[in-house]
Amino acid sequence: MSKGNDQDHRNRAPLEGVRVIDMTHSWAGPHCTRLLADYGAEVIRIEYPQRMCFFRGGKVDNKAYDKQTSWQQINRNKYSVALDLNNEIDSQMLRDLVAQSDVFISNSRPHVMRQLGFDYKSLKSYRPEIIMLSMTAFGETGPFANYCAYGAVMEGVSGIQSLTAYEPEGVPQRIREMDVTNGIGGAAAVVTALYYRQRTGRGQFIDLSQMELPTHALIGEQLLQVAIKGEHDAPIGNRSNKIAPHGCYPCSGEDSWITIAIRTNTEWLVFCDMLGQKHLASDSRFRSNKNRLENQDQLTNIIIAWSQEQNNQTLQNQLQTGGICATAVNTVADLVNDPHLKARQYFMQIESEANDSNATAQKMVGLPFRMNNTRRTVKRAPQLGEHNQCIGKQVLRRKEADIPLLNESTVGTAYDVY
Amino acid sequence: MGAYNVNESNKALDGIKIIDFTHFVAGPYCTKLFAGFGATVIKIEKLEGDAQRNELHGSNISFLWLNTGKESITLDLKTRWGREKAKSLIADADLVVENFSPGVMYRLGLGFEELKKNNPDLIMVSISNFGQTGPYRDYKAEEIQLGAISGLMDNTGDADREPLTSGPKLNQYTAGLHAYLAAMLALQQRGQGEAGRGETGQLIDISIMESSMELIENRIHGFLAEGTLAKRGPHLFAPWGNYACKDGYATVIGAPFRHWATGVSVFESPELGQEKYFQLHNRIEDRKSIDEIIKTWASKKEKKEIFKSGQENGLSFGYVETLSEVNHSVQHHSRQFFETISHPMSGPQPYCGAPFKMSATPWKSFKAPLLGEQNKKFGISYRHQDHEVEVLI
Repeated sequence: MSKGNDQDHRNRAPLEGVRVIDMTHSWAGPHCTRLLADYGAEVIRIEYPQRMCFFRGGKVDNKAYDKQTSWQQINRNKYSVALDLNNEIDSQMLRDLVAQSDVFISNSRPHVMRQLGFDYKSLKSYRPEIIMLSMTAFGETGPFANYCAYGAVMEGVSGIQSLTAYEPEGVPQRIREMDVTNGIGGAAAVVTALYYRQRTGRGQFIDLSQMELPTHALIGEQLLQVAIKGEHDAPIGNRSNKIAPHGCYPCSGEDSWITIAIRTNTEWLVFCDMLGQKHLASDSRFRSNKNRLENQDQLTNIIIAWSQEQNNQTLQNQLQTGGICATAVNTVADLVNDPHLKARQYFMQIESEANDSNATAQKMVGLPFRMNNTRRTVKRAPQLGEHNQCIGKQVLRRKEADIPLLNESTVGTAYDVY
Repeated sequence: MGAYNVNESNKALDGIKIIDFTHFVAGPYCTKLFAGFGATVIKIEKLEGDAQRNELHGSNISFLWLNTGKESITLDLKTRWGREKAKSLIADADLVVENFSPGVMYRLGLGFEELKKNNPDLIMVSISNFGQTGPYRDYKAEEIQLGAISGLMDNTGDADREPLTSGPKLNQYTAGLHAYLAAMLALQQRGQGEAGRGETGQLIDISIMESSMELIENRIHGFLAEGTLAKRGPHLFAPWGNYACKDGYATVIGAPFRHWATGVSVFESPELGQEKYFQLHNRIEDRKSIDEIIKTWASKKEKKEIFKSGQENGLSFGYVETLSEVNHSVQHHSRQFFETISHPMSGPQPYCGAPFKMSATPWKSFKAPLLGEQNKKFGISYRHQDHEVEVLI
C-alpha cells in the first residue's frame, strides 16, 4: 500500500483490488460493470461464444463483433474470458475464478445461474465472502419473476412511460434510459455491499429488480402523490403547469431548438427586452405569471416568430448572459464540440498500446462525475476471449495447456435464427 | 479477520455521518439513499426550510419522499454562529453533500479546503447543474434545460415534432443516484487508505449535464466512432414499441431474437409467421406492413392479456401501467416493494421501499423530519411549529 503523497493518490482508484466476475449481457448489467471498471475494479466479463452478447452485433465475418461501437462503449476497461459453461473444464475455470473474486454479477432470469451452478449458494461455497448482485428484470420473486424484459418494457411496466407525452391523452413516449439507470443502481448496490464487507468481512446477496430500481430512482414522488391525492398531473409536453413561458422553440436550421423557462416577473422583463419587444412588459395578457399561463398559446407564437430566426447556440449564450434560463437542445455533434465540456476536459483519450487498431474511437465518453483524488483512465473494450490466457496464468496460476481457449469456429450471435 | 467489528448492526452504512446541505431534488435523493441504508443524515435547512417543503403552487409531497430517514436542524448560515455550528458538526462527519450554486459554500466559509482543516479525511460531494468549473458554471437551468443541453431531449419525441422533455425529473434524479455512487466510491477508497493522514478524503464534482450524458452513452460513442447522428423516432428494430389496445398501450418486442420463430404464433397471423421474417433484417425492412398487422391485432386485446401471451411464448412483451396501477401492482405487492410510513402531514402512506434488496443489510426508512425537528437535540434554539403540521388532503 502506498504511503501516499498527492501524486500517488491521483494514481489510485476507489475499487482497486476488487475483482468482479461479470456474467451480464445486453446493457443494464454491462453498464453497471462498466462503472465499476471505470473506477478501478478488475472486471472479467465471461462471454458465451456460441451466443454472444446482443451488443456484439449480428455478424461474425472479420470479427465484426470486436468492432461494434456500442459494445466498445459499454465494455471499456474490462477483460474478456470466453467460456462455454456447458463444458465441465470451462465451468471449473469459472469456479476457480469465483474463489478469487469479490463480486459476481448476473442479469439473467433467476433460473439461469441456478442451472449453470452459479447461484448464490454455490458461489458462497467457493468464496464465503462473495457479494452476488442479481439484476433480473422483475426481481427474484413474484408472479413476473420468470419473465424477460428489455428497457422498452421496463419503462412501460414501471409506470415511468405514462408521464411523458405531448398532450394529456397523447401516446406515451420513451425517455430511453432504463438500462443506464439500472446500471447505475447496480453499481451503487455493489459499492454499498463492499463497504459493509470492508467493515465486517461479510458478503451478501442483492436482489435488484429492474422494474423497482428506476421506479424508486425516478417516480417515487409521483407514486406518493397518487397515493395521497388519488391523482397526478397529466403530461403536458414541454409546458409547465407552474410557470410560463416554459417550452421548446424552433431555431434557424433543420431540427434545431432552444428551451426557455421564465420563472419570475423580473426574468420576464429582461426577456421582453431581449425579444426586442419591450412593450410586452406592460401587455396585460402577460403581466403576471398567472396571465402568462392563461395566454400561453399567444405567447408561444410570439416567441417562435423571434426564435426561428436565431442560431440556438448563440441564443443560449445570449439569454444566459442576460440571466435567462435557456439552453439549446444539443445533438451529440453539438456535445462533442461544446466549449464548456472542452474547458472541463470531459472527453477522455483512449489509452492504447502501439499499433492497436481495435478501438473504435480514440476520443471517449467521459466519466459521470469527477473525484479529485482518483485516477481517470479509459482502455478499449476487450476482444472476444482476449484474456483467457492472461487471466488463466496470472490469476489462476495455470499452465497454458490447462486454460480453455476460444474456438472461433463455434462463434455465434444473438441475432442468429435458432 | 480480527479487525472487524463484531457488534455490527445490520445497517450497511452504520456509523456514517453526513452533514446534508442539499435542497430541491438531486442532493436530497442522494442523502435519502444514505439514510435508508443506515447512515445518520443531518439535514441543515435555512430558517424557512427547504424550498421543496412549499413548492410553488404545488405540494410538499416530493419533500416527504425525498427526505425520509433524515434529521432536520435549522441554521442561518449568514450568521457567524450558524456557520460555526455547521463547522463543528462537520468536524467529525464523514461526508458533506451540497447542491448550492457553485461558489456559495466557499463564500460561506464552508469550502472544501477550509473544512479539511478540521477534518482531513472529509469527503465532500458538490452537485450542480453544470459543474464547479467551465464557462457554463453559472448558467441557470430547470429540468427541461438540463435534458436539452445534455443531449437527452433530442432523443425523445416524434421525428416530425419538437423534442420532448421527460415527465419525471430524470436529470436531477439521475444526478442524485450518481452522487450516491460517487460518495460510496470515495468511502471505499478512504477505507483502503490510512485514515487521519489528510490524504484519504476527496472532493467530488457532479455536473448534472455530464451525469445525464451517460444516458445517451451509445449515441455519443456512435458519433465519436463513426460520425453517426441518429434521429429521435421509432426504435431501429421491429417490432419494438407500444401499440394501442383496448385499455391503453401494450409493448410488443420481437426479442429475444432466437424466440421469434416460435413466439410469432402469438399473433395468429400467417403473414407474420412467414419464414423470411425469422430474419431480423427482413422484419426491419417490412416494418410498415408488420406494424399494420400488429396494430389490428393489438386493438382487439387488453394490455395485460398481450403482456402475458407474449411472455408465455418467450417474447419480451410489456404494457404501459398508469401510476395508480403501479400502486396496486401484483408484482410490487408480492415483493413488498412499498413500505408504510406515517407522517403527521399525510397519515400513513405507501412509499417505495428498497431500491434493491440486500440480504444482510436491508433498507429501512422513516418519515421525513419536521422543520428543525432535531434542533433541541443539537442545542439550536430556533423553533418551528405552527405552519408545519397541516394535513395535506
